[in-house]
Amino acid sequence: MSDRVAIVGVAQTRFSPKRADANVAELAYEVIEKVLNDTGLSIEKDIDNTISCSHDIWDGQTISNIGITDVAGGHLRTEEKMAMDGSTAAYYGAVGILSGEYECTLLLAHTKMSQTNRHIVNNDAFEPIYSRQLGLDFTSAGALQARRFMHAHGLSREDFARVVMKNLGNAMANPLACRFGYYGLDDVLSAPMEADPLTAMDAAPDVDGAVAMIVASESKAKKITDTPVWIQGLGSCYDDYFLGDRDLAECMALEKAAAQAYKMAGISNPVKDLDLIELSDEFSYQELLWLEGLGVCKPGEGARLTESGFTSREGELPVNPSGGVLSGVPANVMGLNRVAEAALQLMGKAGERQVKDAKRAVAQGHTGFCGQHQCVIVLGNQ
Amino acid sequence: MNQKNTVTEQICVPMTVDVPYRFAAGKYMARFLTELRDNGRFVGVKCPSCNRVQMPPRVVCAACHVKNDEWVELSSEGTMVGFTIMYLPLTDPTTGKPHEPPFVYGSVRLDGSDSTVEHMVNVEPDLDKIWVGMRMKVVLRDREERIGDLSDIIHFEPLPGQKRPQ
Repeated sequence: MSDRVAIVGVAQTRFSPKRADANVAELAYEVIEKVLNDTGLSIEKDIDNTISCSHDIWDGQTISNIGITDVAGGHLRTEEKMAMDGSTAAYYGAVGILSGEYECTLLLAHTKMSQTNRHIVNNDAFEPIYSRQLGLDFTSAGALQARRFMHAHGLSREDFARVVMKNLGNAMANPLACRFGYYGLDDVLSAPMEADPLTAMDAAPDVDGAVAMIVASESKAKKITDTPVWIQGLGSCYDDYFLGDRDLAECMALEKAAAQAYKMAGISNPVKDLDLIELSDEFSYQELLWLEGLGVCKPGEGARLTESGFTSREGELPVNPSGGVLSGVPANVMGLNRVAEAALQLMGKAGERQVKDAKRAVAQGHTGFCGQHQCVIVLGNQ
Repeated sequence: MNQKNTVTEQICVPMTVDVPYRFAAGKYMARFLTELRDNGRFVGVKCPSCNRVQMPPRVVCAACHVKNDEWVELSSEGTMVGFTIMYLPLTDPTTGKPHEPPFVYGSVRLDGSDSTVEHMVNVEPDLDKIWVGMRMKVVLRDREERIGDLSDIIHFEPLPGQKRPQ
């Protein structure tokens, strides 16, 4: 049994609005080929398990992984799919290695959002008898949550807009980002309104892309790389399915997932113990809400941290130095992209978006509307 | 033949994956829907352990993991806890046609329930005319037009004579 699990390699596509040149298998193979080349590993000799993350309705195929087992290294071998956010692929990849069953696992997440209509796909996540026929989707549910969050703490659209400005500014240094730029408050506030209080700029854009990662046991990891990034803590938790059972201004599932991960990693004070955070800001307000859930601030105080620069790339605790999901990361891929970005920071391979002296980071992913399922992963390079 | 794998053309094949379903409402939701259709009443279930009144009714209280078996009648009036004015033409999956924007979705906690219910709100899509805390009532279709699904609820509308708190 392995005591520790490390991320030993990461590969990501550029995220772009439409990859009409590649089918899903080709898109996935771009990152698989790259991560194998970068690490010098082979599917046949080194990889003993693959966990992929995709979504049947996004892919338009029942059991979306079965068509790409060849490129994922699953041909006449094992391969498992997570029908959830990509961060859970990292979670179960690590668990498999900690169990002693596997030594070296390939993780993959891929989605082509350009293939279909996000509102229709996301509507299918709702319960068919009671809420689906209203036409609810993640944007409208997110807007209900944003409004509730504003009401609970007296927050404004400007507070959310500052998250967009910070993250799209950070994305200027990220060559993989789809949406980036230095914007002013008015640019965000006057963008087309989608679901009040959320404009098109408060919501992540539709993009295509894939992320691959290799995780390995401690003994194997040390043979592969000089810059292993250790998975130090894991947490996973579900909240209620029906929106009406939750106070949407709170994020108890994230608090519990974070508590599990922090306990495992020995983190008592996240602000002091962490050097950066990559979280899934599918909508601008979520960055502020998830900061509460991750124990970085008290309820309602995330907005002040953004405004004061505390969470900027040069601030005391950088949040989404990559530009986050608002800069364009596909559904299902976003959480593995968070883990990948945090790992690149801790490897010192984050290029222009590098945070100085980063030793410990947290990555957060969520699945479902309004963050029903939450996954938290603590990473460190020591 | 050119042996190099060069892309000359990008081909995307359009296809509609149309899968028809018939979803069973189940025992709990069937009772909810028939009460609504036949008697114009909202019913929920009360957890025998934590006393939480849940709507929609369902077999198990998630918090206590015990079976729900006590039914309670709820008011058809309640309080708005959240809302959004929608500007996207979201599709109504029962018709395939878009809901015409702008329109308002609201989360309303019916009196006597611990859960909220989400539905359309018949109010001008104007932030000055809608607020959290607003008192609402449910508007149902006429008895003879009700068919036993969620469309028996037309929308919520504000109770008359309310002023926006300053």
